[in-house]
Amino acid sequence: MTELWLVTSESEEGPFSTSAPLPNRLPPGRHGIPANLVVEHQRRRLLAAMAEALAEHGYGSVTTAQVSKMANVSTSTFYKHFGNLWDCLLAAYVTAADRLCEEIEAACAERDPRPAALTVGIDAALDFFAAEPSQAQLLSAQAPLEASAISAARRLLTSRLASMLRRSRGPHDTALQPPGLDERLIDATLAFVGSRISRGQVEGLAGLGPELAAILDRPRQAA
Amino acid sequence: MRPEACAAAGEALPVETTTPTPETTVREGDMEGALRAVGELGYRDASVRAVLEYSGGYKRQFHEHFASLEACFQEAYAVWIERLGISLLEAAVLAPDWQAGVRAGLVKLFQFVTQQPAIARSLFVEVHVAGGEALAVHEEVTERLAQALDSVRDGLEPSQTPPQSAGIFVVGGIEACLCDVLAAGDQGRIWNALPELMHLAVGSYLGNEAADEEFERTKALLERDRAQLGGEGR
Repeated sequence: MTELWLVTSESEEGPFSTSAPLPNRLPPGRHGIPANLVVEHQRRRLLAAMAEALAEHGYGSVTTAQVSKMANVSTSTFYKHFGNLWDCLLAAYVTAADRLCEEIEAACAERDPRPAALTVGIDAALDFFAAEPSQAQLLSAQAPLEASAISAARRLLTSRLASMLRRSRGPHDTALQPPGLDERLIDATLAFVGSRISRGQVEGLAGLGPELAAILDRPRQAA
Repeated sequence: MRPEACAAAGEALPVETTTPTPETTVREGDMEGALRAVGELGYRDASVRAVLEYSGGYKRQFHEHFASLEACFQEAYAVWIERLGISLLEAAVLAPDWQAGVRAGLVKLFQFVTQQPAIARSLFVEVHVAGGEALAVHEEVTERLAQALDSVRDGLEPSQTPPQSAGIFVVGGIEACLCDVLAAGDQGRIWNALPELMHLAVGSYLGNEAADEEFERTKALLERDRAQLGGEGR
């Protein structure tokens, strides 16, 4: 069936909303979809497939062939988009990180600040992870030597999430917090969530909210 | 950290009591070579040839001991991570109290990382690439260390009960920090994180006030002992 919405329903995010599920492939034959949209659609499919292939095969054996197959493109199309597997992985990581931060920001924007912001932010992140465990694994896994750029991307994500954590606190608490601690708390949270997912405990993720809030929310007594 | 808690956490750990023979030395050498090769080249690019370059052994000998590089890595991983786990618990158990025990364990861990960065990369980073049995052993050791951290719960009032996952959360945070510096090849920087990680650990169990004190104490100790600890630490 022709997916007409692909060319007609442009949102603020562009023709392919990052939050909407992508059709597995474009319709065959003369579909009339502009070439640039076809390219963008392929790229989105490859990014989604990268996370899925990584979750299925792990860093040890994931290949461009597996990613291409999952994305329903040829390997030559893969190489038109990315120089190698690790370039694709980095792009997938950055996209997933942006989506996670957007989900948290959007959820928090509708709420009052502290203490609700922390709880709301944690719940939004856990909902995102539970809905898309392969993205959660991508964001929380430790990258191998070949994919060292992922470490830099991970540091950036940690820093963005730590900044959100600071904003969820009162100014008194933030001023007293040792520098760098929030980044450690975020690192620990990602590792914690990642270990749950790698053990197949996806369904219980949403229930971790109060536990994580208790660890991350460290109110201080007023001076 | 209480001795009995550490003993319980480490009770399943094998302790070597036999004198090494030439055969076990070759085997040990190959296993260490596998960890070094994987740490230097990455799990995907490591090869038996690379292992033998590190160990100085022969291919035939290697295959007398191991069916494949993967088998060698899995076995080497189990032996080295267990040894490291024991040494951390030993360091902790000799300390006068829980906080000092956590600090001693971290210092021991950081010394290992700065002295053996390639092996540390294998143990903490590349294990996630290898997966399989090695990753299962990694999870077991992580769980054991989390249990050892949990020993502080016994002395707390019921109203102070820390979150159930505090131990595994803290161990995950420490490991993420290790992976970060190892991936950057900047393991000397790990010492800078010691006060923050002590705050993470102590704060997760005893609250912010105790963690703030521990943060300052660790910073002062680090300033005093930095030269002896190895690594740049700045």
